[in-house]
Amino acid sequence: MNDHVTIRRGQSHLDAIRLQYGAAIEDAEWQTENQVTVTVALASLPEVVETLYYGREGWLATIVANDERQLNGHYALYYILSMEGADRCFFVVRALVPAHKPEFPSVTPRVPAVVWGEREVRDMFGLEPVGLPDQRRLVLPDDWPDDLYPLRKGAMDYRTRPMPAAPAETYTFINEKTKTSTEVPLGPLHITSDEPAHFRLFVDGERIIDADYRLFYVHRGMEKLAETRMSYNEVNFLTDRICGICGFTHSFAYSSAVERALGIDVPERAQFIRSVAGEVERLHSNLLNVGLACHFIGFDSGFMQVFRVREKAMTIAEVLTGARKTYALTLVGGVRRDIHKAERLRILELVAELRRDVADILDILMSTANLEARTRGVGRLDPKIARDFSPSGAVVRGSGFARDTRTMHPYGAYANAPVVVHTEQGCDVLSRVLVRVEDVQNSLDIIEYLIDKMPEGPVLVEGFSYIPQRFAIGNTEAPRGDDIHWVMLGDNQKLYRWRCRAPTYANWPVLRYMFRDNSVADAPLIVASIDPCYSCCDRMTVVDVRKETTTVVPMKELERWGRERKDSPLA
Amino acid sequence: MFKLLREIVKTGDVTTRYPKKPFPISPNFRGRVEYDPLRCMACAACTIACPANALSMVTDPAAGKRTWMFNYGRCVVCARCEEVCPTEAIVLSGQFELAVRAKSDLMVTAEFSLVTCRQCDTPFAPKKEVDYAMALLERAGVNPHDLELRRVQYETCPECRRLNDFARLRETRLVSGLDAPAAALVADLVSHMAPLRSGAELEP
Repeated sequence: MNDHVTIRRGQSHLDAIRLQYGAAIEDAEWQTENQVTVTVALASLPEVVETLYYGREGWLATIVANDERQLNGHYALYYILSMEGADRCFFVVRALVPAHKPEFPSVTPRVPAVVWGEREVRDMFGLEPVGLPDQRRLVLPDDWPDDLYPLRKGAMDYRTRPMPAAPAETYTFINEKTKTSTEVPLGPLHITSDEPAHFRLFVDGERIIDADYRLFYVHRGMEKLAETRMSYNEVNFLTDRICGICGFTHSFAYSSAVERALGIDVPERAQFIRSVAGEVERLHSNLLNVGLACHFIGFDSGFMQVFRVREKAMTIAEVLTGARKTYALTLVGGVRRDIHKAERLRILELVAELRRDVADILDILMSTANLEARTRGVGRLDPKIARDFSPSGAVVRGSGFARDTRTMHPYGAYANAPVVVHTEQGCDVLSRVLVRVEDVQNSLDIIEYLIDKMPEGPVLVEGFSYIPQRFAIGNTEAPRGDDIHWVMLGDNQKLYRWRCRAPTYANWPVLRYMFRDNSVADAPLIVASIDPCYSCCDRMTVVDVRKETTTVVPMKELERWGRERKDSPLA
Repeated sequence: MFKLLREIVKTGDVTTRYPKKPFPISPNFRGRVEYDPLRCMACAACTIACPANALSMVTDPAAGKRTWMFNYGRCVVCARCEEVCPTEAIVLSGQFELAVRAKSDLMVTAEFSLVTCRQCDTPFAPKKEVDYAMALLERAGVNPHDLELRRVQYETCPECRRLNDFARLRETRLVSGLDAPAAALVADLVSHMAPLRSGAELEP
């Protein structure tokens, strides 16, 4: 398989683990020049992942489980590591789990970054991570039947939902508090904000001691839907809808994954057009977050001004793709529409206007005393915690790591583009805002470069055939960090398995550590600083465990408190 | 603070008069699907292309009708239907206002009558699709005699055409010249198909 790969990066890592683990390394296979999948003995899985992660500068991209019982009688686990030191590549550690004994040694005690992935694998495939301290479900609701694993082949019809198996929520929120404290649940009381999530803050007075949260209230079962109903090109339009803000980057990553699995040479012009669209999306999304940062520090005039300026970025998207959001641009093999001269000139004109407007706005924002006063030293993400959990985007770059998949594993037309990976050392909310501010300016440079250097030629290749069981990774840098898509092709014009990991999935686990030792009033600001697809809660309920009283704080009041930081509603 | 005030004054009022004044959009904007039933020939290309299942078709053989259905509520405005439509019956307009008072207003349907098979009387293909194919041949300069032969062929359903082909193959002794396993396969195939149609004379 994969004879089309001639250059093979990642050999040094393979040699190193071969030397150390010998016979435990069973097989190695390159999917593309910078993607290698190495099958290891199940018992050695934790040690091998740990060696690659901490010993050879590996960062976790994601974990994929795959029901390969019809192919080889086993379940398979793929731990995808992004090797970011010497010999950069995607190094995938694969281990087979026997069908009759669905359990595997947990890697979490050695590499904490994999905790969410392993919890999800247990929920979706019923593979038990032996030694995983956290026994709670991650994705499935509490009332889901115990023995129904949605992503096992033939487990269930994607259109049905089983009857509730439990009458009430049984989720326990964990914490590391040492003395009595007050519990503050935030959400999911109302879902008119973007997305629901349930935070539980453990506070002492107004200081947060620890925090836990629960998400996935709106799990849409997209992976199952794609595997059972949609053809390869139809999935492009589904991926556009993973996120309302950064959907295009998902379809870009998905198409790249399929193209790489098949070794399709995508026309260069198509790659330029995709990269322009991706950068426009990063531009408007980063502007949105800078606007929200203004809003959360109580600088609403700035918020309005940023959103006014951001409209021009939306217009660029509309000129380029025919829609402000959900660009519907990519197909496997290229893009659906070309950029013509009139559009090109219009885009350049808008970029020039934006450059002026953005400079003015950012100048105003940076000279607002409130910004620094409210964000410096708030929501600190310790670099060591960042290293342990592999967050991405502005979250990790704000803590001093120059992680950016555009330069780590160049894709599309980024290889020669003027990408500047800006890092800050402050590790706080301010650093993350500053990283985004720099990203906005850099996006404008990149768009101009790509439009200027765009080669002539076709924008789509067709006429290739899909080869069953080929698989590969697609990666793109979304506004919030890197998107990772892993696909395995099937034999019925449908995907055998598709795994998508959005950057926020990698960024949520570190939030807990960012909350600690901050004031409750700063909680919405800290949540917003990771720019999740969820920015604040409609209202919060305060439970004082000592007095056994409950106080409901309306959202407006919480926001006011967050801005003014006086007249606490908890007093 | 001074910079902000200057910016606000400089910017002035940016609110538009929408909905009193139309909102300007780009020339290439992908908006609401506009459907022209007069151009449509119910070929079903759009229903296959649609990723969101907004487009569908159902055939009612008893009534000899095929219904094309479009649900605006499911549509994701991706324009795949526009791309594959051979007759430009579907065009994406610049309209983006989709609010309706009743959910049923989001459904658009069109009915097409079907051609019945000359041999077995089963309705099978939209009449307009057959006419479209004939018109293409005529414009391509096919002579009237051949055209009439083609019409007979096009107005015969695929199952009957298959049986006819078998009958012709047997006459030309292509089938009888096969080796034993292949002949058995063909015999099996024909015996399966025979009860479907009044093709008793085709029994091998």
